[in-house]
Amino acid sequence: MKYGWRRLAAAAAALLLSAVFFGCGAADQPADGAEKVRLMVWSPSEDQSRDSGEWLQTCCAAFADQHPEWDITFVYGIADEATAASSIAQDPEASADVFLYANDNITIMTDAQALVKFGGKYEQQIRENASEAILNSVTMDGYLYGVPFTTNTWFMYYDKRVFSQEDIKSLEAMLSKGVVSFPFTNSWYLPAFYFGNGCTLFGDGTQEELGADFGGDNAAAVTDYLVDLIQNPNFVVDADGSGMAGLRDGSVNAIFSGSWDYGSVREILGDNLGAAALPVYTLDGAPRQMYSYSGSKAVGVNAYSEYMVPAVELAIYLGSAEAQKLHYELRSVIPCSTELQDDPVISSDPVFIAQNETFDNTSKLQPFVSRMANCWTPVENMGKSIRNGSVTHENAAEQTKAMNDAMNSNGIE
Amino acid sequence: MKSAKMKRRRNNMIVHIILAILAAIWVFPIFWVILTSFRAEKGSYVSTFFPRAYTLDNYRKLFTDTTILNFPKMFMNTLIIAVFSCILSTFFVLSVAYCLSRLRFKFRRPYMNMAMVLGLFPGFMSMVAVYFILKAVGLTEGSMIRLALILCYSGGTALSFQIAKGFFDTMPLAIDEAAMIDGCTRWQIFTKITLPLSKPIVIYTVLTSFIAPWVDFIFAKVICRANADQYTVAIGLWKMLEKEYIDNWYTCFAAGAVLVSIPIAFLFLRLQKYYVNGLTGGVKG
Repeated sequence: MKYGWRRLAAAAAALLLSAVFFGCGAADQPADGAEKVRLMVWSPSEDQSRDSGEWLQTCCAAFADQHPEWDITFVYGIADEATAASSIAQDPEASADVFLYANDNITIMTDAQALVKFGGKYEQQIRENASEAILNSVTMDGYLYGVPFTTNTWFMYYDKRVFSQEDIKSLEAMLSKGVVSFPFTNSWYLPAFYFGNGCTLFGDGTQEELGADFGGDNAAAVTDYLVDLIQNPNFVVDADGSGMAGLRDGSVNAIFSGSWDYGSVREILGDNLGAAALPVYTLDGAPRQMYSYSGSKAVGVNAYSEYMVPAVELAIYLGSAEAQKLHYELRSVIPCSTELQDDPVISSDPVFIAQNETFDNTSKLQPFVSRMANCWTPVENMGKSIRNGSVTHENAAEQTKAMNDAMNSNGIE
Repeated sequence: MKSAKMKRRRNNMIVHIILAILAAIWVFPIFWVILTSFRAEKGSYVSTFFPRAYTLDNYRKLFTDTTILNFPKMFMNTLIIAVFSCILSTFFVLSVAYCLSRLRFKFRRPYMNMAMVLGLFPGFMSMVAVYFILKAVGLTEGSMIRLALILCYSGGTALSFQIAKGFFDTMPLAIDEAAMIDGCTRWQIFTKITLPLSKPIVIYTVLTSFIAPWVDFIFAKVICRANADQYTVAIGLWKMLEKEYIDNWYTCFAAGAVLVSIPIAFLFLRLQKYYVNGLTGGVKG
């Protein structure tokens, strides 16, 4: 009895050690000459859930069938497109071989040297299946870093009973007919007005040295316009989900959001749901087009992967037209493959039309240069200050300059 | 006489009114979360304080709609982690406190100083290092993650022995000496004499070490990464507020928040009087 404790402790330690050393001792037996391959794949949980059709498992199984030369064991993990990058940068060696990511996170992973550049025949295969604009969203310094499978941007949902096809082309026409809710204090949305009047971020989005150009007379004119706009009783600020709540109780007739809200909007508006690219607004008597930020979601491959060829091939398969079509059918993920543009079912989907039109015509590629990180807060503060009334016609120019200065500084230098 | 009584009464009334207002302000957010958890309308934004309709569906959905966010599993994960790290860290804290209070050894002073200095740094500073150490011993994959989190939450607790040590210091040494004359070992003194006499501090330690895993987000997030089946409730609740889920899951988030607070509230209510004793006893020493 005296040594009972010690014996117990020794047993526990031995157990722990054996778990550490032999914990993952799966048997390694090649099945009729096929090469043993272990691929870890990450995706959002919806892609793996039974209720939404197990897109990832289905695709991986189909991929394994196409490649009998590999005996693939798939290990699935949950990481959505927005957060996958930071998990991979944290520890690339213990991360997925193939994963889905949002293109604005590219630099997080390239800084950690964890993202594979596609080249040769693989690059060609990817290029054949996607438009130039989308490829640009995953290209950096001339290298292609992913297989894009959907575009990522925001557009307009509206109630067809309130606005006609003609109305939705102009914000002013819409405001005279019904209530429009806009995420005014969110810096992913507010720059739409500034882009409309010739403001730019980092030149074409990749020229970091040019900085943000949200100053000058054209930007001040936009601020001036926004001060008036916020006074309009039919223009309400969408914050913390108030736009969706307004749509639900009928006090709002149009909101600006993306495909992720399609299910909720569909449930509220039913057949009266309309989706469209962004309208123009009228400044100094002339129409100015609003531009949203756009990006894409893509399949990436980990540079630390032990099984590089299977991983790259799987990534290309997950971004192929076939996989995109299944993704659309199971989860309404809007495809971007050029092959699917003429598909009768997909091309009649209002969200597909709205999102693609927005991407092609009324959006600016969201810059992913690292100085972009300084640009979010000043714009958000501008939105809040206009809403609070602390920005007026008198100080609009001065406040706009202050915003531009803040966007071009990291607050430390 | 009468006026003094009146005056006291009036003062009491004013004090109680102020206290009532403060209490209302404090309880207000909690009350709101509870109301939201029963709200029938969807979405994250409402224009009225009281829901227009009430329902239990949010709780039902939390436990039945498990394909995307498996709340019951997260709840069980957290419960297992909390129970084990509670047992371990209670043992660690009390043992360390007892040693430092009763034994005299060379490293005693330096240890206490070191613990104080280390205690000044926030724990998550070592987060990344902890992750790589755990990875090196193979604890960051599969169900080993639970063990990793238990180690995380209990490993560092020996540094926060101060309150327990203060409590032990108040106990007369004469009792220990008497026991030793009767032939007790240190271990017997600790288990048979000190512990039964220090119920309040034991309970205080149990409470604080049980709560830590329930409210910790950052370690769980860093260690779980893509292993969704190992998520704790903190990560699950955070997920529900992401752009893609918030409209559908907001009321469930409130329901989850209420459920998470139940084990903690239950423990607190049962052990409340010891908790207060433990704290005051410790401070006295």
